[in-house]
Amino acid sequence: MAPPLPPPAGPRAEPPAAGLGGHVLLTGATGFLGQAMLERLVVAHPGVRVTVLARRRGAASAADRLAALARKPVFRTLRERVGYAGVQAALAERVDSLEGDLGSGMPPLPGTVTTVLHCASTVSFDPPVDEAFRINVQGARDLYGAVVESPNRPHVVHVSTAYVSALHRGVVAERGLEHDADWRAELRHALAAREEAEQRSRTPEVLGPLLEAARAEHGKAGSTATAAAAERARRGWVQDRLVTAGRLRGQSLGWTDVYTFTKALGERVAEEYAREAGVRLSVVRPTIVQAALERPYPGWFESYKMMDPITLAYGRGEIPEFPAHAESVVDIVPVDFVTSAALAVAAAPPPPGEPAYFHVGTGSRNPLTQAELHRHVSRYFTEHPLPDAGRGHVKVPPWRFPGAARVERTLKAGERAAGLVDRALPLLPATAGIRDRVDRARADTQRTRTLRRLLDLYGGYGGVEAVYGDGNVVALHRARPAGSPGFDVAGISWAHYVADVYCPAVTAVARRTAAPRRKRAADVLPQGRDIAAVFDLEGTVLASNLVEVFVWTRLVGGPRSSWAGEIASLALAVPGYLQAERRDRGDFVRAFMRRYAGCSEAELRAAVRDRIGDALLHRSFPEAIRRIRAHRAAGHRTVLVTGTADLFVQPLGPLFDEIAATRLQVRGGVLTGRLERPPVVGEARAAWARRYAETAGVDLKRSYAYGDSFSDSALLGLVGNPVAVNPDHRLHRHAARRAWRVEEWGAHTGGRIDAALTAMSGPAEALR
Amino acid sequence: MGRPGFVLEVDERTPALLVNEGEAARLERFPLGTRVIYPPDSLPGIRDVGGAIRQALLHPHGEDPLPALLRPGMRLTIVFDDISLPLPQMRAPDMRQRIIEQVLEMAAAAGVDDVELLAANALHRRMTAAELKRTVGDRVFRSFFPGHLNNHDAEDRANLTEVGTTRHGEVVEINRRAAESDLIVYVNITLTGMSGGAKSVAVGLASYRSLRHHHNVHTLRHSRSFNDPPQSAMHHSYDRMAAVLAGHVRVFTVESTVNGDSYPPQVGFMNKREWEWSPADQASYLAFRKLNAMAPAKMRRQMWQRSHAPYGITGVHAGAPAEVHPHTLANVHRQQLTEIDGQSDIGVWGLPFICPYNVNSIMNPILVMSLGLGYFFNLYRNKPIVRQGGVGIFYHPMPEEFHPVHHPSYIDFYESVLSRTKDPALIEEKYEEQFATDPWYTHLYRTSHAYHGVHPLYMWYWGAHALQHLGDVIFVGAERGTASRLGFRTASTLGDALEMARETVGSSPSITYHHSPPLALADVR
Repeated sequence: MAPPLPPPAGPRAEPPAAGLGGHVLLTGATGFLGQAMLERLVVAHPGVRVTVLARRRGAASAADRLAALARKPVFRTLRERVGYAGVQAALAERVDSLEGDLGSGMPPLPGTVTTVLHCASTVSFDPPVDEAFRINVQGARDLYGAVVESPNRPHVVHVSTAYVSALHRGVVAERGLEHDADWRAELRHALAAREEAEQRSRTPEVLGPLLEAARAEHGKAGSTATAAAAERARRGWVQDRLVTAGRLRGQSLGWTDVYTFTKALGERVAEEYAREAGVRLSVVRPTIVQAALERPYPGWFESYKMMDPITLAYGRGEIPEFPAHAESVVDIVPVDFVTSAALAVAAAPPPPGEPAYFHVGTGSRNPLTQAELHRHVSRYFTEHPLPDAGRGHVKVPPWRFPGAARVERTLKAGERAAGLVDRALPLLPATAGIRDRVDRARADTQRTRTLRRLLDLYGGYGGVEAVYGDGNVVALHRARPAGSPGFDVAGISWAHYVADVYCPAVTAVARRTAAPRRKRAADVLPQGRDIAAVFDLEGTVLASNLVEVFVWTRLVGGPRSSWAGEIASLALAVPGYLQAERRDRGDFVRAFMRRYAGCSEAELRAAVRDRIGDALLHRSFPEAIRRIRAHRAAGHRTVLVTGTADLFVQPLGPLFDEIAATRLQVRGGVLTGRLERPPVVGEARAAWARRYAETAGVDLKRSYAYGDSFSDSALLGLVGNPVAVNPDHRLHRHAARRAWRVEEWGAHTGGRIDAALTAMSGPAEALR
Repeated sequence: MGRPGFVLEVDERTPALLVNEGEAARLERFPLGTRVIYPPDSLPGIRDVGGAIRQALLHPHGEDPLPALLRPGMRLTIVFDDISLPLPQMRAPDMRQRIIEQVLEMAAAAGVDDVELLAANALHRRMTAAELKRTVGDRVFRSFFPGHLNNHDAEDRANLTEVGTTRHGEVVEINRRAAESDLIVYVNITLTGMSGGAKSVAVGLASYRSLRHHHNVHTLRHSRSFNDPPQSAMHHSYDRMAAVLAGHVRVFTVESTVNGDSYPPQVGFMNKREWEWSPADQASYLAFRKLNAMAPAKMRRQMWQRSHAPYGITGVHAGAPAEVHPHTLANVHRQQLTEIDGQSDIGVWGLPFICPYNVNSIMNPILVMSLGLGYFFNLYRNKPIVRQGGVGIFYHPMPEEFHPVHHPSYIDFYESVLSRTKDPALIEEKYEEQFATDPWYTHLYRTSHAYHGVHPLYMWYWGAHALQHLGDVIFVGAERGTASRLGFRTASTLGDALEMARETVGSSPSITYHHSPPLALADVR
C-alpha cells in the first residue's frame, strides 16, 4: 500500500509580502536555508532585487550554479505555476550572481545592496578545523570587511545557530554570547593547523605505520597500489587529525563541536564589526531546521540531515532503542518558519552598532518531547510501513527510552560483536556462502557505525537541555505588517507535521528504492576486434594451482616408489613457499619452479600433452571456458595472463589469441629450474595489458578482465568491464566498492582427487 | 535351453519388483494388473570360447576363411568396437581381446606385418591407454601401442577419405587407413539389435560429414525402432553406406553376442525374477541397499563402474557383414525377445547407472534422457510398449553432474541450448552446425578425451521419436531443476507419478513395466 504523499500546493500565485525592499545580497544560496530564502525572495518579495554570492565550482561559474537552481525541488511550486521557463525568466530578471568565495577571495559588494542575508556556513557538523574556521570565521570577517566598505552600509542578517550558547542549561536569552575566546588567535591557529598536520603526516613516525598497514592490506596488489593506499591513508590521517583538532578545541572551550564553536566566533566577528564600524546587525539563531511545513510546499527538504537518517533507520527497523530521555525536548523548526522570521528580521533593521538577536525554535513555546516525537513517527510507520525488499513490510520496534547508559551498553556490545564477526569471517576460505556472510557482517558493522555517528551527533543537539527564549521573534511576529506570513511556532500541530508532512517527505525516496532487486539481465557482449578479454588462470579459469600441477607431473613421471619422498619433500618446503607467497607472488613462482630443475623438457611436454592436459581440463571452470569462447565469438581478442610457465598452459592454448606467461629455462633439453623472464604477476599484469592494448590497438575501456585475487585488482581496474570470479575476500570487498561484477564459477568442475587420478592413468602408467 | 521371456501380470502375490535408478535400485510395488516384461532366462555361455572363435574364423559366412584372406605385404586393419560396448563392461578377458589375438596369430602365420589396430569410436571420446589395454589385452597392447594401436580420429582431415556417395546422396567418408587397407577385420560385440552389421565400419570409422546423414532428427523419428533394423530408417542408411563401402574395401567381420548376465554374482539378484529370490538374495539385496546408501558418492560411482559383467558368450559368427549379422540378431533375439500383447497407456522404465557414453565417467542429465527416451524406449519391435500419447515414467535421480573432460560440449548444450529450447528439430536447425564445427570442441575431441562437440545434440535426437510419441514424461526421484531444464516433470513416488499421469491417460490406465536388468526386447503384437 502506498502511503499518501503530501498533496502538491495548488498552482496559485501568492500575494506579495509586505516589508522588505531594496537590494538583497544572499550568501549560501545553494544550501538548504539559502535555497529556501531565495525562493521566498523570488516568490513573495517581488519588489526586492537579489544578488547571490556564490563561488565557482569546477567548470560551473556562479551564474551557472544560480541558473541550475531553477531545476531544484525548492522551485517546484513555482514551476507548477509558471513552468520551468517561467522560473528561469524570474531568476534571470530578478536575481544576478556575484562570483566570490567567503574565506578566500571576497569581491566588493555592489553599491546598491541594502540588506545582506548571510546564510553561508559549513555543511558538515564535523569538518576539519581549518575548513570550519575558513568558512564560519574568516568568511564572516571577509563579509563584514566588504560590508564596511560598501557605501550603503547594508543591514546584515547573520544566520547562526541556537546551539552557539554551548552547553548552557535553562533559558537562553536572545542576546550576545558571553565568552572570552579570542577569535583572531583561534583563527590563526586553525588555519595553521593544516600545514602542521601535513608536516607531521610526512614524518617517519606517522608515515611508517601507515605504509606498513598499506603493505599488509595491499601488498599483494603490487607496489603502485600500495603506494596509492599509503597516500590515501596519509590524507585520511591529516583529515582525521584536523577534524579531531577542531572538535577537541571546541569542546575544550565549552562548545559541543567545532561547528557551534566557529559559529559562535562568527557571531563575535559580526558583533565587533557592528560595534566598531556601526553596522546594523541582526543575528538569527535557528534550532534544528527541518522540512517545510507549508512553503515552498509541505515536506520540502534538500538532503538528509541530522534527524532524517535516524527516522529512516527507525522506519527500516534498524534502531531497537534510543539513547535519549523520553521527556527531553527535540527543538526542531520547519524551514519556512526560519525564512519568514529571517525576512521579517531583515525588514526591521536595528540601530547601527546595536546588534539584535532572534531565536527561531519551538522549544520554549511549543516543545516537542522525544517521547511525543517517537509516538508520531511510530504511528506513521505503523500506518505506512516501509516495504522490506520483497519480504512484505518492516515492523518498527517500540522505544521505551531505558536511558542513555543502557542503550549505550547495548550499542557497544553490538558493535563489538559485529566487529568480531567482521574480523573473524575473512579468515575462512572465500566460498560464496562465507563471502555472503562477510558482506552482511560488513554491512551490519557499517550500519552500526553510521548509526552510532548519527546518534552521537543527534545526542549533541537533541540532548541539549536548554530552552531558547524567543521573545524578540514573537514581538516581530506580532508587529509584522498585514499580509506578511506569520511565523508563530505555537501554531504548529506536531502530530500533523511529523506524521503527515515530515515522515512522508523523508521516506519518499526510500520507498522508491526499496522495491525488490531485479536480477541483472544476461548481458550480451558487444562485437568488436578492438575489445580484449583478459583472463587470469589460476582460480579464474582453473580451480587448480602451481602446486597441484607439480604433483601431477610427479605422479605421471616418477616411479610409484618415489611418490612418498616427493610428497614429504613438498610438505617440508611448504612453510618456505608460504613465506615467499606472502612476500610476493613472483618470489613464490620463482621458488617453486626450482622444483623442476633437472626435468627433461621433452618428457614434461609429453606428460602435459598426454595426461596433464586432461587433469587441467578436469579442474577448469566450464563457465570460464564458455565465457572465453563467447568473447571469441563476439570477435574479441582473448588473452591469458598467468604467473605460471607457458609449457603448462599448452592444453588451453587454442582458447586464446595471446598468452602472457613466463618460460622455463632449458639447457641441453633439461630444465634448470630458473625462469627465462619474470613471472607475469600483480601489477606487472596491468603493465603488460597496457602495452598489449597499445600495440594491438585494443580499447581498454571497452575490454573485459577476469580475476579471482586481490593481486589482480590492478589489471581489473584497467578495463571498462572488470569481473571478479570467485573473488577472495579482499577482491570481493574491492569489487563491491566499485560495483564490479562478481561471478561464481565452478559448478561442474572436477575434484582434486579425480584430476590426480586422471593424471596418473596415462599411457606411461598403462605401459608400466 | 532356459525359460522363455514372459509377461507377468501383477497380482496380490507379486512381491515388490526391482527397479534400477541410476547408481541405486529399489523395490517397488506396482498396481495390480500392471504387466511386467521379463526377458528369457540368461542363456548358457559357450564353454570353449577360443574354439568357437577359431571355428568362426575358419568357417565364415559368405566369405573365405580368414587365413585365406591374409598374405604377406598386405595392409591389414583390425577395427574393434570402442568402450561403449558392452554395458556394463565385460569382465576380463574382453571378447575383443580373444578375437584379436587369434586374428593376429593368423596374420603372423601368414606373414602379414602391416597391421594397424583402430578403435571404432566415431565421434565418441578417445579411449585412454588403460581402456585400450583392457579391451585388447596386455599382450596386444604392448606390441602395438602407441604406434599401431589407436583411436579413430574423425577430425583428422588428412586421415579421412571419401569412399563414395549412396544413391540417396549420403556421403560415405571413413578413416583413410581402413579404407585403403586390403582387408578390414571388424571385431564386434553386439548387445542389442542396433549394433553390429552395417553399422560397424560405416559408423564407427566415419566422420561428422558422413554421420549427419543418419544421425538426425528426421531419421530417428522414422526408426521404429532403431533396435529393429528392418524398421529403422537409420539402419537403412547404414545399409546403403555399407553397400558403397563393400565396393571399395573388403570387410571381414567377427560378431559375438552376450547373454543376460550383466551383473556380478555378489548382486546376483539383479539377474533373477524377484519371486525367485533365495534368502541369500534377499540378504544380499538388503546389504547392497545399505552399503550403497552409506557409500560416499564418489566411492559409490567407483563401485558401480567397476562391477564388470560375467557375460557368457552366446555366439560368434564371422564373415561378410551382411551374411553374419542375421545370425547375430537371431542370438540377440534368443536372449532378449519377449512377446507382449498390445500397448498400454503407461510405460515404466528403471534406468541403470550406465549408458554407452558414461563408461568410466559421469551419467549427465542429457545422457539420462537419451538412455531413457532413446535406448530403453526403443527396446521394441513393431510398436512401442506405450500407445501414442501415453505416458513414460522413468526412474533416475538425474543429478546435475557432468564430466568436465569427457562431456564439455554437453555442459554448454545443457546451460545455453536447453535453457532456450528443447525441440530436437529446432536444435538441429539452429545449433548443430555450430556445435559440430566448433574448433575448441574439435580440439578437445582430438587431443583430450572429450566427446565430439555435436554429440550431445545426437543424444537429444536419440529421444526425438519418444518425445513425439509420448504425451507426457515423468521422472521418479529426479532432481526437479534438472528435469525441468530437460522439459520433464518429476514425482517423488510412483504413486505421485501415476496420479500426475491421470491428466494425460485418464483414471484407470493400463501400465507396463519394462523390467531390467536383464535387457528385454519387447515384441509388441
